[in-house]
Amino acid sequence: MSIKRSVSSYSYQDEYYEGKLDLEGILRETAKTGATGIELLAESNIKQFPNTIYDEAFREKWFGWLKQYGLTPTAYDAFLENHIYDNRRLCLGEQIEMMQRDLRCASLLGFSCIRTLVSTPIEVIEGSLEYAEEVGVKIGLEVHAPFSLNSTWAQGYLDRLDKPGSKYRYFGFIPDMGIFSRRVPDVVEEKWRRAGAKEEFIKMVNDAYASRVANGFTKIEYSLDLGFANMNYRNANGLGTLTEKFKEMGAGPADFGYLNSSYTYSWSDPQDLIDNIDHIIHTHAKCYNTHEDYTETATAIDEVVAAYKKAGYDGYLSTEYEGGESLRDTMIVDGIEQVRRHQEALRRAIEG
Amino acid sequence: MAGRPIYNPDGFKNVEQDGKACGFEFQFKLQYYRGITLSIIRDIKVTIDGEEIPREDIRLTVNGETFTLEEARTVVSPLYRWEFGEYATVTVAKEGGLAKGAHHLSVVQHIAPSYMPFPLQAVCDADFEIA
Repeated sequence: MSIKRSVSSYSYQDEYYEGKLDLEGILRETAKTGATGIELLAESNIKQFPNTIYDEAFREKWFGWLKQYGLTPTAYDAFLENHIYDNRRLCLGEQIEMMQRDLRCASLLGFSCIRTLVSTPIEVIEGSLEYAEEVGVKIGLEVHAPFSLNSTWAQGYLDRLDKPGSKYRYFGFIPDMGIFSRRVPDVVEEKWRRAGAKEEFIKMVNDAYASRVANGFTKIEYSLDLGFANMNYRNANGLGTLTEKFKEMGAGPADFGYLNSSYTYSWSDPQDLIDNIDHIIHTHAKCYNTHEDYTETATAIDEVVAAYKKAGYDGYLSTEYEGGESLRDTMIVDGIEQVRRHQEALRRAIEG
Repeated sequence: MAGRPIYNPDGFKNVEQDGKACGFEFQFKLQYYRGITLSIIRDIKVTIDGEEIPREDIRLTVNGETFTLEEARTVVSPLYRWEFGEYATVTVAKEGGLAKGAHHLSVVQHIAPSYMPFPLQAVCDADFEIA
């Protein structure tokens, strides 16, 4: 068995938004890249969610397409909307009910895991594990920048969910390759340059990022207050000091914009993947800009694939193209070409 | 170069009641990547030609049903999501509607996906003509 390739429907969001691709179109484009897996954001690409998924006629179409395009469902991206009302957070039972709804939807569509977000309370996952086992769908906690493996945040989940008992085998991690960013993506730098960021400040941001990569990022601490956790993390990694320096030097809004943006990317040692291999059930192969020569601007494809090979990972790398958010205010995004290039880059790394 | 379109170019028009203009409407897409329940819309702020429209004068229509922003706070039905890539219609009560000619519209979409530490605010500007 070797590492397999998948594409997340998130990658084609601009095409879907503009009506160039519908759900079937997403599957068709995915198959063209040579990927054999499809990851789905049901809430993006299936109307009248979740009712449509309960409709047998819809599912017949879905499985027909999968067969036609030779695709295996990989991960179903769930959004635990636990603030669905503005006056309260859903109570624990309601949140478990919502997660079970997503597990059921994933199962109906043939997925073997759901992706749950970093904001998911541990108790909600624990309370859903029995049902996960019943329907045969794992719950994958996304490890998304600025969060990381081998951190108190990740350990908090393992302490509670890595236990004996078959249901606990239904919890795992889904690393997002944004945590292996060697630099701030070039499209992000360009966006802030267009907005008026000045070269001296851009250089300071890039140098500071490079020095964090060289010296190691301070990892984020576990807290359900994500705003609080984020600010602590940012300051522990030098944002406060840089902000003061920027102020002294008379930086403008675009300079601060680029500075703050740079803290949404991070670098982890790919060894983290090897250390946690028993818990990794799927991977978001995040990408921002894959060039014509099949190099990705930020994410360390070769190092991640090498670590996975060493660890014997035989799951999916699922392309999640996100560069469009830096482009779409001034140009039409070509997600189809970006995914094609990124899949080719993954193929070369896996087969090379 | 032009960015991704937000508004329906054919969606800007006055609305009438009993043969008299009583407001205007426009259609635009959600600036996010998935469909949402209307309940996570925290606000839609409309400014037309520099004039801020009071919240209670704004209506939102999806899938043929119309809600005030206050009502939208409790709309969670799968039938009335603001689907990704689809237009929602915003109707603004304004006596006499808009005069013929050029207008500038600025709308801020405030939505609060639960996992985000801060709500999203998307500024959506448009220049259009009323014929």
